[in-house]
Amino acid sequence: MAELVGSILILIGAFFHFSAGLGMVRMPDAYTRMQAGTKASTLGNTLVLTGLAFYHPGWTLKLVLIIYFVLMTNPVSSHALARAAHFIGIPMAGNSGIDALRDAQQTKRSDP
Amino acid sequence: MISSIVLITGLLLILIGLWGALTHRNILRIIISFSLMGTGTHIVIVAIGYVKNGTAPIIDSALGLAEAPQRAVDPIPSALVVTAIVIGLAVTAIMLAYAIRLYDTKKTLSIEALMESRW
Amino acid sequence: MRRASIVFAITFFGLLFASVAINHTQSVSLWPLARSYVELVPRELGAPNVITGILLNYRAFDTLGEVAVLFMVAAGVGLVLGRQPNPTVADPPETARPSSEIVQIATRILAPLISVFAAYIIMNGHISAGGGFQGGAVLASCLILWLLADAQFQVDVKLLGLLESVAGVLFVLVGIAGLIFAGGFLDTRVLPLGQLGAFFSAGAIPILSLLLGIKVGCELSVILARFRA
Repeated sequence: MAELVGSILILIGAFFHFSAGLGMVRMPDAYTRMQAGTKASTLGNTLVLTGLAFYHPGWTLKLVLIIYFVLMTNPVSSHALARAAHFIGIPMAGNSGIDALRDAQQTKRSDP
Repeated sequence: MISSIVLITGLLLILIGLWGALTHRNILRIIISFSLMGTGTHIVIVAIGYVKNGTAPIIDSALGLAEAPQRAVDPIPSALVVTAIVIGLAVTAIMLAYAIRLYDTKKTLSIEALMESRW
Repeated sequence: MRRASIVFAITFFGLLFASVAINHTQSVSLWPLARSYVELVPRELGAPNVITGILLNYRAFDTLGEVAVLFMVAAGVGLVLGRQPNPTVADPPETARPSSEIVQIATRILAPLISVFAAYIIMNGHISAGGGFQGGAVLASCLILWLLADAQFQVDVKLLGLLESVAGVLFVLVGIAGLIFAGGFLDTRVLPLGQLGAFFSAGAIPILSLLLGIKVGCELSVILARFRA
């Protein structure tokens, strides 16, 4: 029974990993690609490791530590990459025109 | 069977890295292709040392002292690959230092700027 | 012409690799040298990890040579990149753009974790998987995290160079002690073997692992710090 639950979780995690790869290929510009890669692959990692914890209940503490480490590093690194991409001026796709970082930096610069 | 799959994966990686190193113009992509070739070589070396139904050559609760010579995988390729990985990192660092100097002097990252040293 | 020669080279190597892959048969037992290593290392050296026993005793001369290669690479990178920082490539540290708050806080949480993990890998090299090279690389990755996150972080290259030279000299001194007190150069049986699997066991292998980890970590850090400016 525990193995069935673990296997289903690993399968869902593998599907999320696949959708991360698909998103990185098909998304229009750099920012959306980074978002697809980070969110889907972090969630896929968490689900695969949780499924593994059902297979080997003795490893639960170590797997929780690994999940914590992945949650600490993956979003922070994609945040740093996105800020660097915005700084060197990579254009955004689409015509929404909403750039929250540029507006926040302008208000910070114009305040004395 | 397992070692054949891993061996073919490593040989494919070497071929892809070789193709990339010969085809690309941007020097950073050539450096990535060299790193890929190095990783493929490490995988090939470790795959050759696999023993059927073997496990890692470390004596602990999974592998007893008496049954180690029957069930352990060959330790010598693993020892060679450990040093080879660190050397690969150092060689990549030297190549990247050359890429930085190329950008300083010629203001471009394409190896077409070094045309006079071609054959 | 160029494209034809590239295709020729790829097909030639592809056929060569295909013949290697087809004629490959899985071995069913270890060949005699590997079998003797797997039997001898736990019995004579007292180290459960056979790979570390090979790297730091039976083939320790290769490890010393590889450390020398790393030192040569550090000197080479210092020569190529050691001139005055070129303003087209990097900003000087005083006016560099600071990183965002999230990255700084995450770095302060992660750097102690990474250092403890590196120390664990180095010191457990003789009991389970690990060793000097792996731990040294993780230690250097902690330093590159600081370099990327903090714009004002200055690496003291002279102190790291001194530390790695001292570690290298101590490594050779332990080897000479093996020449005087035990079987030969870099023989690790100068210290008592202890119990198999205990922390203080396997002769001088933990000491050699520690020195190797410090040396590799400092060398890789010096190489990576040169890329900053």
